Amino acid sequence: MKLLVCIKQVMESASQLKIHSDGKRLCTFESTRYEMNPYDESAVEEAILIKETVDNTHIDVITVGPSHAEDVLRRALGMGADDGIHIIDNSNDFCPPIRIASWISAFAKDRAYDLILTGIMSNDEMNAQTGPMIARILGWPCATAVIKEDLSSDRKSIAIQREIEGGARDVFDISLPCVLTIQTGINTPRYPSLSKVLRAKKKTFTTIEASQLETLRPEAVLDRLVLPQKTAQGIVLEGSALDKSQTLLDILESKGLL
Amino acid sequence: MTEHIAILVEHDGKKIKPATWELFAFTEHLAKLHPAAIHFIMIGEATRNLAQQLSTQTQCQVIAADIKGADTYHGQIYTDAFTRLLSRYPATYIVASHSTSGMDMIPALSIALNGTCITGVENTDKEDQTLYFTRAVSGGKILARLCAPLASASAPLCLTLSPGAFKPIAPDKNAAPDIIHTAVECRQTAMIYKERLASPSLGSNLTKAEVIVSGGRGIQEEENYALIEALADLFPRSAAGASRPICDYGWAEYSQQVGATGTIVSPKLYIACGISGATQHLEGIRDARFIVAINTDSNAPIMQIADVCIVEDLTEFIPLFMETFQKRKRPAD
Ligand SMILES: Cc1cc2nc3c(=O)[nH]c(=O)nc-3n(C[C@H](O)[C@H](O)[C@H](O)COP(=O)(O)OP(=O)(O)OC[C@H]3O[C@@H](n4cnc5c(N)ncnc54)[C@H](O)[C@@H]3O)c2cc1C
Repeated sequence: MKLLVCIKQVMESASQLKIHSDGKRLCTFESTRYEMNPYDESAVEEAILIKETVDNTHIDVITVGPSHAEDVLRRALGMGADDGIHIIDNSNDFCPPIRIASWISAFAKDRAYDLILTGIMSNDEMNAQTGPMIARILGWPCATAVIKEDLSSDRKSIAIQREIEGGARDVFDISLPCVLTIQTGINTPRYPSLSKVLRAKKKTFTTIEASQLETLRPEAVLDRLVLPQKTAQGIVLEGSALDKSQTLLDILESKGLL
Repeated sequence: MTEHIAILVEHDGKKIKPATWELFAFTEHLAKLHPAAIHFIMIGEATRNLAQQLSTQTQCQVIAADIKGADTYHGQIYTDAFTRLLSRYPATYIVASHSTSGMDMIPALSIALNGTCITGVENTDKEDQTLYFTRAVSGGKILARLCAPLASASAPLCLTLSPGAFKPIAPDKNAAPDIIHTAVECRQTAMIYKERLASPSLGSNLTKAEVIVSGGRGIQEEENYALIEALADLFPRSAAGASRPICDYGWAEYSQQVGATGTIVSPKLYIACGISGATQHLEGIRDARFIVAINTDSNAPIMQIADVCIVEDLTEFIPLFMETFQKRKRPAD
């Protein structure tokens, strides 16, 4: 089997967020740390679980991002993926999902993948578009929010459960090749192993300059990033922690909530 | 030529889902900014009755097609059928809910129709003749304002609306129905629907609880979930809940997950500890009557909807609050 997992580097979730003066991106600081989008970690883990049960499985991981996004490829290799592809985009421009999906599908098109996995969405932009767009461009079937998968014994199809509202699951049989976007909870992503991390350090990745790739499809345009307006009618408790706990108690008592 | 806004209807074969009425509220707002006729497009096993009801109540045109297997969402059937219907009855704006089905099909539809795609839209406004759509990024701490300046019937903007962003309209017109019943052929073999499995949160005790104390990633360590349970224990008819990641880590059961893909709760009091307030979590607590948020980050989105905001470290605040509580209860001790 040949698997491709699409992964993205995002800022750590507790990062300081400040809108850049150009209004179109977030500032980066000395303290800014990056990580693999958690949903993508589940996708990488799922690919490795398949590799562990199906002989001759090869896992490619691909990312679109600036030079430092290479770190997530190394992490995926440290977890157990085989090769990395980096579409390098150092432009700092807003990059809509359709562009990323076009680039990834152009790469994947003639490479005979059986399965493409992505996270259900990225934690930073939260579009949830890249996976289903790749599927559509390639003309493959797609299921999003996948919470369980099971390859058929002839490796021609895959039984999946996709999570819907309220946590119920719809079960489908999908023929390969297909695209699945992975929801968390499907597995527990492993930590990279030391030996694999050392091997990944020496690895060279296939690199493609984004500036050489075409973007042909209509795109949404980012006007600017803004801070949400506070709509809170709620009160913010002031004072010491002890003051706050007493005030909270007063409030709950007065509302008859104790 | 009149422009159109198309609403992709969500229903379960028996009832129109509330998400559709949220879409209707949103499109009415959109149509005020950008004059266009709203119509509904629906597919299902037998759409006649629902189409009739929809058109009568809203006074809008309904385009409906009966397709086998379309009462439950099926990615290929839906994308294929809606592509065909929207090619026949084009619209400049195509809107679906940011539900697990809307999320699944809208990106693909936007490509099939040579349009653009914006997901999770919370609002729209107009400036200098351009329509802008805002959506949450970075867990709701930032909003992105986007536009699709070239949107047209031949290159539509396909968008999903964030659940809860617009209050559902309960339309009560009594108009003569205006329905186009049409047939679409869907040949698809690559994806076969098997069955629906029950949610692991079915029968959760959260639905009955009057007070729910929930823990999120802010609890940081599995041991700290005990703090959440201890705080919940102070209240009668209470239960301990959790955000999704806490259940994914195995620190709480899935039956304790609050939110869109867990349990929708409606307690008198909801105490969110170390929970940021992602839209999928907020969807689960929209009917909570009183919300207290304990979070180290005063900018966490939960603070925007909480009735009482407490900017503190939960590992220190919860024990302190419990102590205060016990003292006041038993002043003689
Ligand atoms: C299709 C889909 C469905 C989903 N369904 C659900 C769902 O049903 N329910 C759900 O909950 N999520 C759901 N999610 C996930 C959701 O998007 C968020 O990722 C999740 O709710 C975040 O959980 P959290 O608030 O616990 O974590 P975070 O967003 O990481 O927030 C942690 C918070 O803790 C605060 N904090 C940190 N340390 C402390 C401290 N010491 N004391 C106090 N506060 C602290 C931080 O400031 C932060 O605000 C879904 C996602 C998708 C894509």
